[in-house]
Amino acid sequence: MNFWSRPRMRAMGLTLRGATFLVAGLIAFEPALAADVIRVVSPYQTTTLDPMRSAAAGNIETYGQLYSRLVRRNSETGVLEPGLAETWEVSGDGKTYTFHLRDAQFSDGSPITAADVAFSLERIRGDKKSAYPAPLSSVESVTAADPKTVVVQLKSAFAPFLGNAEIWNMGIVSKADVEKRGEEAAFATVPVTSGPYEVKQWKPNEKLVLEPNPHYWRKGYPKSDATVELIEIASPETRIAMLKAGEIDVVRAVPWAQIDDLKTVETIDMRLEPSTTIYMTLLNHKREPFSNLQARQAAGMAIDNEAMAKAITRGYAEPANTTLPGSVDFHDKDYPGIPYDPAKAKELLAESGMAGHEVKILATADAPSQQTALLIQAQWQAIGLKPVIVNVDGGAWWDATGKGDYDAAANWWYNETPDPDLAVRWAVCGTCGSNSYNTFYANPKVDALVEEGTKEVDQAKRAEIYKEIQKITTDEVAQVPLYYAPNAVAYAKRLEGLKLTPSLQWTLEETTIGQ
Amino acid sequence: MSLLQLIARRLLQLIGVLAGISLVTFLLVHMAPGDPARLLAGERASAETIAAIRSQYGLDLPLWRQFLTYLVNLLSGDIGQSLRFQRPVSQLIEQFMWPTLFLTVYVICLAIPPTVALAILGARRPGGIADQIIRLVGIAGLTIPVFWLGIMMSRFFGVSLGWFPVSGYGTGFTGHLHHLFLPAMSTAIWLVPVLTQSLRAALIEKTTADFVTAARAQGATERQIFWQTMLPNAVLPTLNLLGVMVAFMIGGAVIVETVYAVPGLGTLMVNALLGRDYYVVQGLTLVFAVSTVLITLLVDLLTAFIDPRVRF
Repeated sequence: MNFWSRPRMRAMGLTLRGATFLVAGLIAFEPALAADVIRVVSPYQTTTLDPMRSAAAGNIETYGQLYSRLVRRNSETGVLEPGLAETWEVSGDGKTYTFHLRDAQFSDGSPITAADVAFSLERIRGDKKSAYPAPLSSVESVTAADPKTVVVQLKSAFAPFLGNAEIWNMGIVSKADVEKRGEEAAFATVPVTSGPYEVKQWKPNEKLVLEPNPHYWRKGYPKSDATVELIEIASPETRIAMLKAGEIDVVRAVPWAQIDDLKTVETIDMRLEPSTTIYMTLLNHKREPFSNLQARQAAGMAIDNEAMAKAITRGYAEPANTTLPGSVDFHDKDYPGIPYDPAKAKELLAESGMAGHEVKILATADAPSQQTALLIQAQWQAIGLKPVIVNVDGGAWWDATGKGDYDAAANWWYNETPDPDLAVRWAVCGTCGSNSYNTFYANPKVDALVEEGTKEVDQAKRAEIYKEIQKITTDEVAQVPLYYAPNAVAYAKRLEGLKLTPSLQWTLEETTIGQ
Repeated sequence: MSLLQLIARRLLQLIGVLAGISLVTFLLVHMAPGDPARLLAGERASAETIAAIRSQYGLDLPLWRQFLTYLVNLLSGDIGQSLRFQRPVSQLIEQFMWPTLFLTVYVICLAIPPTVALAILGARRPGGIADQIIRLVGIAGLTIPVFWLGIMMSRFFGVSLGWFPVSGYGTGFTGHLHHLFLPAMSTAIWLVPVLTQSLRAALIEKTTADFVTAARAQGATERQIFWQTMLPNAVLPTLNLLGVMVAFMIGGAVIVETVYAVPGLGTLMVNALLGRDYYVVQGLTLVFAVSTVLITLLVDLLTAFIDPRVRF
């Protein structure tokens, strides 16, 4: 007895053959990469288009494309050049900066005036919701003397002011538009921009589509009239697969393990670009064991950061020797760093009375963070601490470090200018509002040196001050410096002139599409 | 009970489900550590800035007042604003819904024909060579992790062979078909074995059922017996299973959407969770709950249609 007659099988065969045809038909569609779109992929999201509102990684990349600043940094030489300000004068006492604006227009064709500049800078400086007012903390007032002249009055002479006026959140926005549409609405979809690009479409959580701003003040820029898509892709494997399949042109944050492989791909230019990024481990000075100086020194000596750089970045990063990024001005190249000496570390820890103490290491899900946490755990275990790894996501990480509910946490940060003023304020200053990057390290001597460094105009004397800060904070192990990592970025070879600057800005306006 | 009564009862159930779900998700997301204001403003923002943002968005109010506001808005049909993007949550969901729905339908279309074919093939001679092979391959398909399979397929068919795109949603109907082929295949590969096992078992069970013997005694041909008696009876449990799976896919396509960078509800959910975008998480949870209830209703209606004996 058989229910399953032959014709049924034949019918099934036909269906299968139909399916095969369908698949073959689908394959016939070639994934053609349109010649006039530059696709840049980053794991970091754009969450707001208001340059004042965020200092988060993805937004930093975006702001530079949308808003021009008073001065700009030459993408080749790194030298400060005129931006929206054509010329400027500094008064003899170094306290008054007078900027003369060029004839420039916003993306809606309206002129960029001194009133817009004063409005934009005062927002960054004074608005409660401003994410990063620190670069303008020395400013007393910003006023429009006439439609083409902006006067910035400083509280005291401040050596790095010009450089700070170039930072990513210093973009000039349209006063008239913000007042007309309201602060939220003006930046919600298509803002009026002053930079090389304007927004064509923003699909939050997916991508930001930009097109050249026809009113951009740098005539002839952007060099290519291509549309730009800033795409957000969380998975590193997916980013690399997309690049290899030719679906995108640029990948930010290439995993260390993939670099050698990408270097062998003919159509891809795998580059390690200079950065001001430092990877380090935060130590919580608020509670035991790391409120104890000897315990911190032991923790520092237990870590072989040369081996760690080799293991995690496959040798693409340099071991760090001080608490500051290796490429900021006045970085002390000759400082010997914290020596790797596990025997001495064991002794110090025993002396400190903290041996056997539990240490809570925070780790996020990304590969470098997991690897760092594991390696540190092993090395601290070896000297007699009891480290446990606690896995958290970004939100919980900030919550725990902000409250001081942790003992150690590996992370990275970068400095937005070559000048070290903002770096020391962020990482090792107890009175600058950052709690020394949530480590709660506070040394009055260092805090005083930070202020001195700000006011000193003599370069040699500044160098001495920052050398001293690095020496004290590294000796006291404010944080454990791990390594200085370059930006690992992969580019499609058809692009020319594109790079990610150390300030994390894409030079898209200078990019052309070759063959 | 009539069909209308069934629908009315389900809708009543829906209200209860939604009320419970919104309270639970509200509490869960608000009590998880992490601050949306911090994630929005970035690491360099000072404590004062964070406080200002929290008060602007009402995050500094007591939890019960926040929930009350949310509930009142919900009742008036407003599921809230995204904290991160300052856009209505409904607009975001609408934007990300289509890829997920397309993918779900695509998976069903890819999964059903092989399921039916393989189940019949296997049930034809239970324990035979064909049955054994199908079962072994099925177990392999079930046990391979979706993310690994996804990465391997995108490397092979996308990067090495260049047959299919490895990311995105594409434009136009054929573009969607092309772009979502690998994600749909990756999902179908674990779905087909699940459904096949269920259908095969039901088919074998029905071979010896009384009504089959009765039909044969009445002189029905084997072909009639199979198509009109056995298959409709055997398909019901599998249909229920499919319903559960579809509801699961709409809410849980997270992995496959992440691996293939499909801008769907799964990616939206992951990022909303990571960014502590409370109202987006809540809105999505509601959407998933509603779709689960609706799909179950649809399956019940289909069951009633296929098997008139089923009464509610």
